[in-house]
Amino acid sequence: MGVLQYVAKRLGQYFAVLFVGLTITFLIPRLLPTNPIDGYIGQIQARANGALSGNDIALLRANLEELYGLKGDVLTQYLSFLKRVIFQFDFGPSFTYYPQPVSQIVFTALPYTIGLLMVSTLIAWFLGNVVGLVAGYFHTKRAASILEVVGIMLYPIPYYILAVTVILVLSYLIPIFPLAPSFPVGQMTLQKAGMIIYNSLLPAITLILAGFGWNILSMKALAVATTEEPYVTYSRLKGATNWTRMTGYVFRNAMLPQVTALALSLGTVFSGALLTEMLFSYPGIGLILRTAASSADYNVLYGAITISIIAVATAGLVIDLIYPLLDPRIRHR
Amino acid sequence: MAKLGRYLLAPVLAALMGTAAYAQTMTDVGTPRAETLIVQTFDGKASNPDAQNPLNQFTLWRGLRELGWGWLWEMDTSTGVSYPELADGMPEVLNDEYTKFRIKIRPGVYWSDGVEFTVDDILYTLDTSFKYKDKLTFVFRANGYIKEASWTKIDDYTFEVETQQPAYDFNTVMGVYTWGSLFIIVPKHIFEPLGADVVTFKNAPAVTLGPYKIKEFDPNGFWQLWEKREDWQRSAWGNLGEPKPKYVLYKDFGAEETRTLAFVQNQYDIDTFMSPDSIAAAQARNPAIETFSKTLPYHDMNDACSWGVYINQQKAPFDQPEVRWALALALDLQTVGITSVSGQFKPGALPLADTPITGPMFYDPLNDFLNNLTLADGYKPFNPNFGPELIEKLKTQGVPADQLPSGDAIKAGFGAGWWKYDLAQSEKLLASVGIKKGADGFYTKADGSPWPIELTIPADWNKVLQRIGFSIADSWRKAGFNVTARQVDGGEWNTVQQTNGRNELQVNWATTCVYNANWTNTWSALNPDNVKPFDSTEPLNGNYLRVTDPAIFDLVEKSRSLEIGSDPFMANGREIATKLVEGMQVINLMNIPTTIPTNNTYWTNYSKADNFYAAPYSWWSSFKKTIVNIQPTGKQ
Repeated sequence: MGVLQYVAKRLGQYFAVLFVGLTITFLIPRLLPTNPIDGYIGQIQARANGALSGNDIALLRANLEELYGLKGDVLTQYLSFLKRVIFQFDFGPSFTYYPQPVSQIVFTALPYTIGLLMVSTLIAWFLGNVVGLVAGYFHTKRAASILEVVGIMLYPIPYYILAVTVILVLSYLIPIFPLAPSFPVGQMTLQKAGMIIYNSLLPAITLILAGFGWNILSMKALAVATTEEPYVTYSRLKGATNWTRMTGYVFRNAMLPQVTALALSLGTVFSGALLTEMLFSYPGIGLILRTAASSADYNVLYGAITISIIAVATAGLVIDLIYPLLDPRIRHR
Repeated sequence: MAKLGRYLLAPVLAALMGTAAYAQTMTDVGTPRAETLIVQTFDGKASNPDAQNPLNQFTLWRGLRELGWGWLWEMDTSTGVSYPELADGMPEVLNDEYTKFRIKIRPGVYWSDGVEFTVDDILYTLDTSFKYKDKLTFVFRANGYIKEASWTKIDDYTFEVETQQPAYDFNTVMGVYTWGSLFIIVPKHIFEPLGADVVTFKNAPAVTLGPYKIKEFDPNGFWQLWEKREDWQRSAWGNLGEPKPKYVLYKDFGAEETRTLAFVQNQYDIDTFMSPDSIAAAQARNPAIETFSKTLPYHDMNDACSWGVYINQQKAPFDQPEVRWALALALDLQTVGITSVSGQFKPGALPLADTPITGPMFYDPLNDFLNNLTLADGYKPFNPNFGPELIEKLKTQGVPADQLPSGDAIKAGFGAGWWKYDLAQSEKLLASVGIKKGADGFYTKADGSPWPIELTIPADWNKVLQRIGFSIADSWRKAGFNVTARQVDGGEWNTVQQTNGRNELQVNWATTCVYNANWTNTWSALNPDNVKPFDSTEPLNGNYLRVTDPAIFDLVEKSRSLEIGSDPFMANGREIATKLVEGMQVINLMNIPTTIPTNNTYWTNYSKADNFYAAPYSWWSSFKKTIVNIQPTGKQ
């Protein structure tokens, strides 16, 4: 298969995945047992202590259907949705926070989500793989077992418990990080950027600890298996150093599934980290998604999920495209 | 290497700890802690922090209602009586039908940008509300209440206006009834130049009428900082006295776990709806943290609404009063209250909260009714000793005697009584309509088929009610009702509330919100237009009790033309309450236990049971009373 054919096939799959993803994204929220208009009317009716007349509510309902774009049958709404999303990348207004555009809600939160999760995922991946590689390559040594124990200890701790423990230790017992920090506002300065980084350290440490263990264990298992491969033995017999064998032979082969896992993890970054946001008062898209789901705010759900779908699909595409560079065997197929 | 590590780490740690130490005297938004009142937000994080246009859905829980907007009339929440705020006196009624009013406003009130507030602002708000009513989402109240184009400017401080119907509640619709008004005045000089763009205008930061102005807000929705205006005296409520804090910070401190830790660390002063367990844990570590009352039930019980089990009365077999009474008598509310809220609750048998305001209007006059109430078979269901019995149970559970009320305080703390817990009578009532227990120990329908019952309860967005809901289901299951508690998110909650087809039983509060003499504010929705078939998916528009009784509808209708608070008006309200009770049309449970612990480290003299000057809620507009009454402790 030629390179162009390979790329074209992958691109075709990519767009097919996007189309199916968008369609499912459109349909799923409509199966929710919640109606956004009922939700809003319920809220305002409560605020009016039930004092709105039937006519007031009927008028409001008609207005909201119009404003929310929920008039017409589902097919018409679906085609309108595809047209807006594909050609204008416009998700319309939030229902819950009308007339706030979805794009504003999502794009205000997204940099924080990406900044925290991307960096912590990469660090956890890098550290975990390095430790796992050393533990796996030197698996007969006692020190390697200790490294493995670190992974075994960290991996099964539920994230919630880990996060609360980190908060207790580093924000309460030894209060070097703030509980519920306030992120600075206004024009960005070096000092404010430093503040944002400082405020993000605690959730980042927790996420790294949480991701670290799995990477150690998986890389260690891969490294142990790879170390036993004949080509590693052959390189040792040829006189290659430990360093060369570990990095050039074991790591290079063991990292392929790890790279795939990394790419998929980076793709899911866009759906946020709900628990992290709740426990660390960290701005991000997770809480927005949760609120939107509970109030059937279709448009916000569409916006946030579509971005996530695009991110995951793109990560898969990028991996597919760079795999031949990492693994020559694929190039030759 | 280790030495090098220490050299590298030491300055980093020193810098970090320095920052932490600095935060003890300055808030992390850069204001002196001693001059800043810090309040946990009601809704956690806001997703629309820059939505500050009150003609649309706006960011409600960031102090705009309490510190920003000005109201024509405000509510004295210690007495339940309205008083003028922007208005200069109560509305003058111009006709016998009570539909024409003349309103005067106080001269000398200024917006936060220095422009004088006049009648033009009010009339512009009314104009715009009608002109763009199909584009704006928060103007529905005025549109449904005021007669279109009926307003006339008399002078800069006087206008006249007509309502669509007799409006004895004019001051609590166009002003505050409980926590705020739905009629919010906007500054004409800011909005008018925008023309039709007002429908998408965000208005952030809002120009406001209160004595505070918005200094900064977090675009991510975690906090909003208010700064006292230099000209606070000429603000909407500058006449109440000087607001004490120079800054007020509304901030979300996150999940309850982190909130509790932050509260212990004196990072903020007033919490909202912290669970009793967390409060106890925080108090054990910080003696400056206080509840509303030093004795049980500890918390404020004076919310406008009460919690109850709302029943789909049109759906068989709940359409039979015997079944509804059987449910009430099979509910062990003492055990429910002890297991779910540690006994920190105040029950109420009438379909409204039992507060110092509603007590003399409803509970006291109807005490004999409750005590003498007799079911068709001659059974008296009321238990006036509910409170003393509960206290005895709490004593056996180890609650210290000095934390339990005694004498008259028992009634104030634990109410005048509730329904008996009588499983035999419950079974007898069910048997009278053919309902008996099956082989599995659960009641079946009269035709012998299984009778699964669904009780809708809130998910973790209302943790206290969620726990109570589970406990109620447990109590009923023990009594033989095959009840399943189904927890739902807020959105689905509203759908269940609004439709018959989705509801069997739901723990709710939306139509048991009689706050003061103006009972029509919540029960006016009880009318024939809001009766739908038992399986309808049409919205109920406020009749969430699913009342179908024409006698109640008639009382509501007649009361529309009666002066609020007058004897016949109050008598009608009480009669509605008795009819709802006689048919057990709603199983009213308890006042909403509002847990608002405060921290005395930086501020003191909050509104408490023994120092009650206003509802202590930081999310009601009457929070202004707290703002002017608290005192700094001097701690820096």
